[in-house]
Amino acid sequence: MGAISAIARTTLGEAIRRKVLLIIMLIGILFLSVIPAFSVLSAKSELTTMISAMFFVLRYTSALIAIVLTVYMLPNEIERRTIYTILSKPVQRWQFLLGKYLGAIFALGLMIGMMSFLMITMFYLFQHPEASKMFELARQALLYFVEMSLLTAVAMFFSTFVSPLVNFFISIGLWLVGTLLNPLYESISKNNEMAPVLKSIFSFVFSLLPNFANYDTKNPIINPGQAIQNETIYYLKITGYGFLYIGILLILGILIFDRREV
Amino acid sequence: MAAAIETRNLTKTYKSKLRGNVNVVDNLNLEVEEGEIFGFLGPNGAGKTTTIKMLLGIIYPTGGEGYVLGKEIGDMDVHKIISYLPERPYYYEHMTGLEILRFYGSLFGIKDESKFHALLDKVNLAADKSKTINQFSKGMQQRIGLAQSLLNDPKLLFLDEPTGGLDPIAHIEIRDLILQFRDEGRTVFISSHELSEVERICDRVAIINFGKIERQGKLDDLLRGGRNEIVADGLTREFADQVQADLKDSIVSFNAGRLIVDAPEDNNVNTIIDSVRSAKGSLVSVTPRRRRLEDLFIETVNKPKEESK
Amino acid sequence: MKTTNKSLLGVVAALAVGQGLLHHNAIYPQWEQNYAPKTGNVVGSLAPDQIFLSLFGFREFLAGILWVKADGFFEDGNYDAVLPIIRLCTLLDPKQVDIYTTGMWHIAYNFTDEDNRSDRRYIPVALALGREGCKNNDYTYELFFETGWTWFHKIQDDFPKAVYYLEEARKRPDMLNARKNVLSQAYFRNGDPMKAVNEYLDLEAKAEDLYIREPTFPNSQNRDTVQKNLDNTLVRMAQRGWFAQNTDQGKSENWFSKYAYDTKPAFDTNFSIKVTVVEPNVFRCEGTWDVLPVGTRIRVILKDADYPNGRPAGMDWEGGPNTTVQFEPPKGITYMQDELYVKNRRFNKKLDLSRDPTMYSFAKDKYVLEFYYTPRLAPAHIQDKFGWNGEGMTDSLFLNTAIRPGQRVMYCKMDISKDMIRRRGEFSMQGGKTPVLKTPNYRETGITKDPDGEVIDINIAPLRSK
Repeated sequence: MGAISAIARTTLGEAIRRKVLLIIMLIGILFLSVIPAFSVLSAKSELTTMISAMFFVLRYTSALIAIVLTVYMLPNEIERRTIYTILSKPVQRWQFLLGKYLGAIFALGLMIGMMSFLMITMFYLFQHPEASKMFELARQALLYFVEMSLLTAVAMFFSTFVSPLVNFFISIGLWLVGTLLNPLYESISKNNEMAPVLKSIFSFVFSLLPNFANYDTKNPIINPGQAIQNETIYYLKITGYGFLYIGILLILGILIFDRREV
Repeated sequence: MAAAIETRNLTKTYKSKLRGNVNVVDNLNLEVEEGEIFGFLGPNGAGKTTTIKMLLGIIYPTGGEGYVLGKEIGDMDVHKIISYLPERPYYYEHMTGLEILRFYGSLFGIKDESKFHALLDKVNLAADKSKTINQFSKGMQQRIGLAQSLLNDPKLLFLDEPTGGLDPIAHIEIRDLILQFRDEGRTVFISSHELSEVERICDRVAIINFGKIERQGKLDDLLRGGRNEIVADGLTREFADQVQADLKDSIVSFNAGRLIVDAPEDNNVNTIIDSVRSAKGSLVSVTPRRRRLEDLFIETVNKPKEESK
Repeated sequence: MKTTNKSLLGVVAALAVGQGLLHHNAIYPQWEQNYAPKTGNVVGSLAPDQIFLSLFGFREFLAGILWVKADGFFEDGNYDAVLPIIRLCTLLDPKQVDIYTTGMWHIAYNFTDEDNRSDRRYIPVALALGREGCKNNDYTYELFFETGWTWFHKIQDDFPKAVYYLEEARKRPDMLNARKNVLSQAYFRNGDPMKAVNEYLDLEAKAEDLYIREPTFPNSQNRDTVQKNLDNTLVRMAQRGWFAQNTDQGKSENWFSKYAYDTKPAFDTNFSIKVTVVEPNVFRCEGTWDVLPVGTRIRVILKDADYPNGRPAGMDWEGGPNTTVQFEPPKGITYMQDELYVKNRRFNKKLDLSRDPTMYSFAKDKYVLEFYYTPRLAPAHIQDKFGWNGEGMTDSLFLNTAIRPGQRVMYCKMDISKDMIRRRGEFSMQGGKTPVLKTPNYRETGITKDPDGEVIDINIAPLRSK
């Protein structure tokens, strides 16, 4: 446990100093700061535009940070040979990988946390909303964090056997596809002209790929008043789903990394 | 004395698209005694680092077996009593020397601050403990590397090119530290191609080329039976060429009538002296010499691959 | 190591099945219910690139931005550009209630001609948008109310529809109390004052309750208003003979024939009209209506004789080619609706349709001019005489009880041809006849002076003495 937390802490320390991540985050923060100024242009949809634009920026910036942070993590350790000094100590590979993952998650949490804090502050300053609204924003930000933790696990898994550039595109692709799965499935399940075989195939793929669409629950925040049933249970379920999937990816990653020549 | 390292037919084969199977390490049989400084020599690409990585359990052998401090390679328990300093290591740049030691210490579960300070003292970095790594010179980086490799009080140290790229003063500092390790009873396994350094500090060496051990043994034994240097004046270039043609194992040089022959011990010195005299040359000196490690090394690695097999 | 690997792979397989089941059975159904963009409903009407956009996470954002754009077009009056944007916005985010409400309102009200007459050809589209909005946002009263309001206030016909939507709105807990009054008004227009009374009673109880909890001046005013409305209604029902004609006791004891009620005897409105096509696409309507108190508006409609889903004095607003939300601007069909205001028992209005050739294309050959009056829309002081269903109203020539079952209305229809409207052929402006259509009871004075000035052409019968 000591080794895992030491590796995690070091990873965190390094990640929050990486210039490229800071630049991505700063761009996100810049966008978040100017959104309220643009939203006032449209009196009627001010709230809609503001919330949806802020969440858009938060989600895409977080995803970019998660991927850029993770794809270079293992390759950098190998290239700079730090991994040798660590693995020659009594540290198992699974401990190393887990420590790296946790460190990435902490770094990501910190960055998403900062952006969310700014987002909620801006929202408060420009809209003077009720406390419950602020809570809803914070909750959606938290769900994005779970989503990005899953995305980090995806990138981590691929980083055990593909190059950073390939991993970058695979992870982004999987994320985009993952954000489409639910709506796509919805459209297809309602399409009566599609062959049942194709539907089954899609259904299978649908249940195999990581599903990121689950975590986007901003619509009721943008369009308030919708009665959502068993809301809390839903959030618990998608968090549980995230943990399950992260577990799968990390175990597979460890199995591959364990046999990998570094 | 027990063997600190022992390998039997240790082999690492990589599959290459162009060249088929490549034996990077080929049936390696290595024996390192406890308490000695062992030099593991070889040109670049000979398989030194691959061997070390296999011994450390970072990569897996494709054949043979190996034991480190009596345990099979890859055994996690061994990692508690060995350490490794890679070639030109990189440490997390945002950390200070002290933080580096804390980090690596925590991998062993060591939290004793006084130990960290003592180690900084030992590698002469106590005054720079709050500098971050990116403010360190190469020598300082190597010294902090040595400090981290001493954290667990290791019985066996693997040092990969420990003096590579360092200035002469840093060389001396590192050399002294390594000698100190031996005095403390540790086994030190040095991989290097800085032959003069190795010659100065190692008890035994092995020379590896194309993945195979070519020479292995005590330094004194390997270098015993040196060479003779014969210097004569008043000779012609034709004569020098003739000597070189006759003595293939010797190194012959000629400049302004002076001939210098660097001949192996088994060449008959008298025969050379006789021919100098018969050519009306005057003998200047005949000096018997112990072989240098460099000579042994060059002699070993200059053999083409086919011959080496 | 190998056995560990195998058991880990087993764990992975179990987790994979677990996540699949969890997602498929527990998460997806809830997602579909609460967070789905509902693109499945409308996927057929989206282009592939639009589907693509709508599926990514930024559909609400896009919808918001587009809606801002649409607002700009509205302000510029570029209505045709607005329609596809509204459609796209609602597809991108069918939960943005504002887009539906505002979009529906814009479509129903703001497509107008030079004289601010709405383009009613768009109303079925507005209604279709409302229906879709109701379906996608079943949880809130808003779209039911807005759709009901369109029926109640804009269409002013088929009042059961208004009642249906406003009742649906009232079922939703977020319906504002103040808006519930509209439902009472809709009950009146639907000829059902007893339901209005019940609604008022309910509102009164709530207002009273609110006042007891928070005895503030606005709350007491609110309660007083409801009570006044209730009192007025009950008095009117009594005076108009409603209780006499609609209660068991009233009917069995024959109250209506025995006692004096405001609605009897029936009053003859004596409608007459002359329509002159003074210039191409310009009409002058002059005529009489014997009701002296101000407040009468007679509906006038000019439409294609074969208008899609047309019917007397209007159209089937929910039927026809625009029953789904598709925003092809209606082309080649004409429908004009306006009102003739009665003052001093006569009316005179110029309808200039020449300035809006796209809205009034007159592409067909045959047209009908319709004049229609229903007491359901009359102000209270006139309704006191006519009753809610026209019990107290008659017209010697144009009383009609067939076109709106249950109501006694005035309905007059005239055929008119394209040549007459466009002043072509025998009706040419260059020496041709001036097209004039008039009812047999229209009596001219023969002293017309100024067509745009004071009306002096109609010979009005003297007021009947009591």
